[in-house]
This record gives sequence, C-alpha cells and structure tokens, in this order.
Amino acid sequence: MNHWTASFLLFLFIGCSLFTTEDSQANDAKLRERAMKLHREAIVIDTHNDITSPMTDEGFDLGTRDTSGKVQTDIPRMKEGGLDAEFFAIYVAAKYAKEGGAARRALDMIDGVYEQARRHPESLEMAGASDDIRRIHKAGKIAALMGIEGGHAIEDSLSALRQFYRLGVRYMTLTHTNTNNWADSAGGINNPAEKRHGGLSDFGREVVREMNRLGMMVDVSHVSDETFWDVIETTQAPVIASHSSCRALTNVPRNLTDDMLKALSKNRGVVMINFYNGFINTEYAKPGTPAPAKPANAATMDMLIQHFEHAIKVAGIDHVGIGSDFDGVEGMLPGGMEDVSKLPAITYELLKRGYSDADMKKVLGENLLRVMAEVEEAARKAQASGAKPSFAKINQAKAP
Amino acid sequence: MNRLGMMVDISHVADKTFWDAIETSEAPVIASHSSARALTDAPRNMTDDMLRAVAKKGGVVMVNFGKGFVNTKYVKPSPETQAKMDEIRIQYSGDQTTMRAKLRELQGPPPRVPLDMLIDHFVHIAKVAGVDHVGIGSDFDGVGGQLPEGMEDVSKLPAITYELLKRGFSDTDVKKVLGENFLRTMAEVERAAKSLQASGEKPSTAKIGAAPKN
Repeated sequence: MNHWTASFLLFLFIGCSLFTTEDSQANDAKLRERAMKLHREAIVIDTHNDITSPMTDEGFDLGTRDTSGKVQTDIPRMKEGGLDAEFFAIYVAAKYAKEGGAARRALDMIDGVYEQARRHPESLEMAGASDDIRRIHKAGKIAALMGIEGGHAIEDSLSALRQFYRLGVRYMTLTHTNTNNWADSAGGINNPAEKRHGGLSDFGREVVREMNRLGMMVDVSHVSDETFWDVIETTQAPVIASHSSCRALTNVPRNLTDDMLKALSKNRGVVMINFYNGFINTEYAKPGTPAPAKPANAATMDMLIQHFEHAIKVAGIDHVGIGSDFDGVEGMLPGGMEDVSKLPAITYELLKRGYSDADMKKVLGENLLRVMAEVEEAARKAQASGAKPSFAKINQAKAP
Repeated sequence: MNRLGMMVDISHVADKTFWDAIETSEAPVIASHSSARALTDAPRNMTDDMLRAVAKKGGVVMVNFGKGFVNTKYVKPSPETQAKMDEIRIQYSGDQTTMRAKLRELQGPPPRVPLDMLIDHFVHIAKVAGVDHVGIGSDFDGVGGQLPEGMEDVSKLPAITYELLKRGFSDTDVKKVLGENFLRTMAEVERAAKSLQASGEKPSTAKIGAAPKN
C-alpha cells in the first residue's frame, strides 16, 4: 500500500465512521421518539408498588411531586412515566402475624388507597376489573388497584378474604417473607423461612380455590418453591408473580427458575419483572452459587433488560410484564430506572433489541390485562356452574 | 360516622357515653335494642330524659323484647337462692354452658313474661318520646330465648301490630312504629352525611392517642 492509497483509505474510514455516528444518532433519536409514542399509546401496568405505606402512615400525598428524593412514586411522575394502572401493595408486615391486627392493617392500607383516589379524582380512579383499566385509560386517568402482600392478612378466614375482594383487592401474594398458617414462604434475603407445610396446606389449597372462585389473582411472588408448585397444581385460573425476576440470571429464592417460568407460561399466567438491584444483578448471585450475604447494591439497566429478555425467551412474549417494586426496595434500583417517571426506558431498550410494537404492548400491560380477564372469566364460570363460597376452617379444610 | 352516614347506636353504652354522643352527633342517633328504664330498671334501658333527648335529636328508640329488659315485675330470688346462685357463678366461672345449666336446674325453667309488659314499653316510649321515635329492636337469637309469651320468634311480629291497635294506636301511628320512624331516621342520617361531605368535610385521620380536642 503506498502512501497515497493509505491516506485515501484513512480519509474514507474517518468519513464513513463520522457518517455512521451521525446516522446512528439520528436513528437513535427516531427510536426514542417511536418508543415514547408507543409507550404513550400502550396501556402500561405495574403490579407492585409500595408507596401505599407512606400514604397510609405518613400522610404522603400522591398528588404532590416529591422533591426530597425519598420516594419513587407520585402522580406527576406516574404521568411522566406513562403509567396507566398501578397495583398498590396492601403490604402487611410479618410482625402482624405474630402480634395480631393483620386484617386491620390491611384495612388501613386499603383506606389509604381510597383516600388518594378521593383526593385526586381528576388523575386517579379505583378499578376492580380489566375493563375498568381500559375505560380509565381511555379517560386519560390512572387506574388504582390493590393487591394484598402477605396471606396472613386474612387471618385464616375465607370470609375475610371475600370481604377484601369486595373492597377491591384483586390479587393476593400468598405469603410475605414469613411462612403463615397455610403456606410456606421463600423467606427474606439470607433469612430462609420456616418450612412448615411442605408448600400449601389443605387450607392453603382451599384459599387458592376460593380466590379462583372470587376472581382474585393468585400471586406466587415470595412463596417457597414447594408452594409455587402446589399453587400450579391447585389453581384453575392463570396465576401471576407480581414482582419476581429470573433465577437463572440472579440466583435468589425470590426469583423464578426456568422451570417455573415455563409452568407459569403453561398456566397462561404472567411474571412481572422486579427492578430491585438484589434480584437483577447478574454478577452478584450466579447460578449454582449461593447469594453473598450482602445483597447487590447496584445494577445496570442492561441487567434489568436481560431479565425481561430471559423471561420472554423462556416463558414466551405473552407471559412477561412489569412489577417494579418501586418504594419497596429502599431505592436500590438500576441506573436509569430511579423512579416511576423512567418507565419509558423499558420500551426504548426492548425496541432497541428488536421487539415489535405489538410485543411491547404485551409486556407493558396487555399480558396482565389478558390474565386478569381470564381470571374474571374463570370466576364467572365457576359461579355460574354453582360453586358456592367456601366456609372451610383452617383445621377442617376439605381434602383436595 | 356522621360524615359517612353510619347510624350512631347508643344501645349498650354507659349513661355518660349516651350524653356525650347526643352532644357530639350532628345527625339523629338510634338505640337499636333498648327499652324503657322507667318500667324496667336495667342499665341497658333508657331513662325518660334519654328518651326525650333521642326524640329531640330526631332519632328513634327500638324496643328490645328480651325478658330482662321488659319484665316490669322482676322478682328478686330469696337470699337463700341468691347465695346458691352466687356459688354456682363462682364455681363455673370458666364454663358458661355448665354455669347456665346449673342455674336453670336451681331456678327451674324461667317463666315467660306476658306480652302486655312488652307492649307497655312501646306505649311508654310513644308517650315520653313521641310516636315518631319508637320502633322494633327485637334482639331475637340474642337473649337465650328469654322472650315474652306470644313473641317466641320472628313469626309472631304481627302481635305487636294487633296489640298496639287494641290500645288505640291509629293505622298511621302503627306504621310509624313498625318501620316508618326508622326509615325517616335513616334518611336523615344519609342527608346529614351528604351535606357534611358537600360542605367539604374530609375523612378523619385522627389516631386514638391524638384525637383532636373540641
């Protein structure tokens, strides 16, 4: 190669790379625009948010933008994030199982959600069905739904379960980090829960059946592996994991194994990816090794997206959604996903990886809407075919 | 409760609580199952002053049918029997079922009170509080079956209508006692709630340790 040829090739190379950079910048801007447009059009649903605690205990007003940096959720930022439906966690801490007052704690939290809807009728509306979510989205408002986190909230009473349904609760996480009187829990981080029932007890199975009959989604986040499989065996409707990620990428008991993802897919259910650093950091708890004592305190957006992609690959595009856990993880969230206003980044990142607009809409909300509608339909059918409320007591549950 | 439109019920409360409720409530109150203390001196019944206070509030007193609340001629057991009863109460304090069985064994089956005594309570309350402020609060299935003769179960309710007509109540007045009085009170409670909420009254977030001072 002579001098001139080399210069010419160098010139060509620089020219091309400049052109390529400009081109890719333009493409990226286009992609962001497409992502934002799609995100605004789609119904975006998050199935787990713990802002309910400050709403209930500290008089936190959802209508006011929080500038303290302490919380990740408020109505102004929900709107920026294009969020259309939020499941507020009716979180009942394990201590109430010991000290009593679990059902009342749930009632206080439920009242906390209704109070925000009362205060902000122009932005927020209570919803109890998949059709409500579509209608409220059309009206340009955010649908407020509720999920009980911790089955001890029903105090072993199917009557209490029915009344929670009547108040609008549409899913129940069968356990929190504590094993309750009828279901084993996966425990806390490095704090395994007592395994007392080998999964669900007979009464636990009756709880699942009664939830099916009512049309309340069964949530398998937080439960032990044995409980998960007992639920899959027992339920007659699709189930959800309201805030869990993939164990194949981050090896913690709160995440789902590939077999579980496949079972959830077969059950027509949905896994809602949790954003918590401790559940998504792929460097921190590698498969086959126990999780280090200290949870990961950082993670990247790329790691979060890997969890979406893995769940989609294993369970299928129809079985993955968003279960942020905002305001439930002490702010330990990946860079770029610091609060609810950042949700459009999910859409952008997944489009960038080649997902279609239709696929994105599924992940953003349509999958959950489908599951919710199927759960409603299963309940309608069960009731139409004469299924009566169960009055089983915990010590005399019917054998399955 | 006023803001929500839930009726405040002052049956079972202490006299002082009654007067505080009357002072505090911005809507009519009810006594869901209490009778007249002037006829049967039980703390669960209402004095004439209380009957008048409920009336003034636009509320209603729903007459309880339980023997202990309507028996106007309650005969005290002899000191001998009373001593035996006390003994049984102490001995079986941890076992209510056996206690009741033993007491019954000692006293024999309780005689039913005549229906007239029950009707006397309706008439007294209609006289003191007014015919707009009395109704039915049976307490069926809550008084161990200790009910007046002729009022043994819910099928016997027409006897109230018959007896009141017999005592000279008009058709209109009987309809009030049977249900219209209660319906009026309930509607007023609903109206009060609507007007409180319309005037901007917000759900209270008071905690029991920190209730606001008046």
